[in-house]
Amino acid sequence: MAGRSNKIGTIVSGSLLSGLEAKLAEDVNVEGISIGRLIVVDGKDNKFFCLLKDVSLEATNEDILLNPPSDDFARRVHAGVNTFYKLAIQPMLITTQDPTGDDRPRPSTTVPPHFSPVCEATEEDVSLIFGSPGITNPEIGSPIFMDVPVCLNLEKFCKRSNAIFGKSGSGKSVLARMVLGYLVKSDMAITLIFDMHGEYGWSATSEGTGSDDPSLRQLLGSKIAIFTVDPNSPLYMRVRPDYDVQIPYGAIEIADLELAAGELGLTQAGIETMYRLADKWGEEKWLARFLDMDTDELSMAVEELKVNDQALGKLHRCLSRLKRLPFIRKEVADDTVDRIMNEIQAGRHIVFQFGRYNSMLAYILVANILTRRLHKLYVDKTDLARATGIDVPKPLVVTIEEAHKFLDPQVARQTTFGTIAREMRKYNMVLLLIDQRPSGIDDEILSQVGTRIVGELGDERDISAVLTGLPSQGTLKVLINNLEPRQFLLTGFALPMPVVIDAKDYDEFCREISLGSGIIQDEIERRKTMDELAAKVYGDDEIIFD
Amino acid sequence: MAERIGEVIQVYTTRFLAQSDDLSTPPHFGSFVRAESQGMPIYGLVYNVYEASIDPNRRAMAYGIEREELFRHQPQIAEFLKVEFEAAIIGFNDIGYIRAYLPPFPPRIHSFVYPCNRQEVLDLTEDLEFIRSINALPGLPIEELAAASIRLAYAERENDRAFLMRAGQEIAQLLKDEYEKARSIIRRISDGG
Repeated sequence: MAGRSNKIGTIVSGSLLSGLEAKLAEDVNVEGISIGRLIVVDGKDNKFFCLLKDVSLEATNEDILLNPPSDDFARRVHAGVNTFYKLAIQPMLITTQDPTGDDRPRPSTTVPPHFSPVCEATEEDVSLIFGSPGITNPEIGSPIFMDVPVCLNLEKFCKRSNAIFGKSGSGKSVLARMVLGYLVKSDMAITLIFDMHGEYGWSATSEGTGSDDPSLRQLLGSKIAIFTVDPNSPLYMRVRPDYDVQIPYGAIEIADLELAAGELGLTQAGIETMYRLADKWGEEKWLARFLDMDTDELSMAVEELKVNDQALGKLHRCLSRLKRLPFIRKEVADDTVDRIMNEIQAGRHIVFQFGRYNSMLAYILVANILTRRLHKLYVDKTDLARATGIDVPKPLVVTIEEAHKFLDPQVARQTTFGTIAREMRKYNMVLLLIDQRPSGIDDEILSQVGTRIVGELGDERDISAVLTGLPSQGTLKVLINNLEPRQFLLTGFALPMPVVIDAKDYDEFCREISLGSGIIQDEIERRKTMDELAAKVYGDDEIIFD
Repeated sequence: MAERIGEVIQVYTTRFLAQSDDLSTPPHFGSFVRAESQGMPIYGLVYNVYEASIDPNRRAMAYGIEREELFRHQPQIAEFLKVEFEAAIIGFNDIGYIRAYLPPFPPRIHSFVYPCNRQEVLDLTEDLEFIRSINALPGLPIEELAAASIRLAYAERENDRAFLMRAGQEIAQLLKDEYEKARSIIRRISDGG
């Protein structure tokens, strides 16, 4: 593809390992070149897709730095000869110059020859890399400085655990809503969202305008089932939740309480005492019985169990906080997990809300208890499906906010979330972590994350954490450091190469997803045409394409 | 053809010496000249002009009278003086094509020398390759010479700023290892613009 019009420089040196260096063309204004751009290097037989990672000022001669040109004429004369700009670019993908339909860009294993032209990527280049938008490949933004769709391959996306990181105000919730919305619309997976702050149900407050943006239920209607532990919350003024959730004391395991140890104020001694109690009184019954005790009964228990009376008193006070959560009861009408499984089988997606009980304690307990049960059911179901040769269940994407609370290095090895993050893609169950504090997440879990969507992050430790286990960390780090709100770095399994995007406009997403306009409308039309064609060719017999 | 200005009296591969036809119109420093030799025009850049006694054993003497007045009163004195100029060879005309490199042989002695016309100056200064040639010659006032010739070419181009910019870049490129030299030439040509 010789003679591109948007040439910005020429390759002069570099290596595959450390990246290539190009000299900026003299007629290009360096101030218009920003890092994170997609760059294409035209080799002899191949095109190299690269990321711009740095721009530097260079001089051929020390003397010019000591005696800089004094006037504008001299500055312009020396520009490009004695002073020049160098671009550091990282080759990522390679493809043949004129790719046919089957040629997908593959990771670059070599470098372009000397003096290959360096160009800005065009629309065709971007769509060659990220594919064209479609129902299973939705557009979620455009590369910075370009107006071309970048698409997320949902099929790959729901094969691994994924993460959306970013500090508050970076726009991660809005992006998460978009990703989940497309996931629901595409029916590639079932989503279960633990919605701590009530953002994924009917509507969510927009940070920019303060107005109410429509959220998943409003956009996708009956495909979404809302479960709540607080049916009387003002959240449900406009839409009734589908199910009220109650959790029996018997369902709470000590491991769940351990996970919430910080929130409950439990000490190590308290945890050991709980195990004593459970041994003595039975795993399902001890908690209800213990919380019912008054002071006299407690002193009797001290004698019976031979434990320190102060320790037991403290444990009682700590666990009494559970009584303030009205959805935890002694007796419950029916089993929430069964209901969730039924909904999942019916193909509905679940948003689990907390209403006014959005304390970390309630969130951790509920998310952990439910996920543990679901996990068991999913493992059994998948094993059964494999053994009997029927279809394995659709992937289940469990979305958790404040993920570091479930996956910090202290607890990640024991919790269900840790297990899911490490193993569960084999059982078609994956996580979508949404977090503003990735440094709190266990390294082993982070390295298992398939696709990372990273927004603005302030803390150096968080930035290092999100890059755990990725190649070209230096480059990506620079890109993350330069992100603005609503800009995201996308990297990992579902993307052929890392890319910095401006997130799609939420209003546009809403229009597309609720009215079925744009790409989704096209897809519906396409299927309709195929059905009509099928009807014409085969009559009214039931033959279904796709 | 413009009037001749001199005659070649000594030659080397890279330069020639010519004697001016008259004392009143010596060629300018940094100007382009053409020696017509065996049907092949050879181009030079004047880098040294001097006036001396025709007798190497006798030096001119001071009379304490203005030059014009002296020549009016004693016209024979002019007969004992000569103007000579040295030119660095920067190219030749190869059957209609101007080549900006050394000809196979220098102009022959007694060839006539003419000033270059406008078109020749434009052609010779098109790529400024000659500056590289003269930079390689020892003993030339290269900074002054390059600046003078570029100013002349600039004037022939009716003060085209784009040419001046291009020339400056060429200088910066040629002399990139000698930044101070390049800097002083660039300062000299930018004043002219």
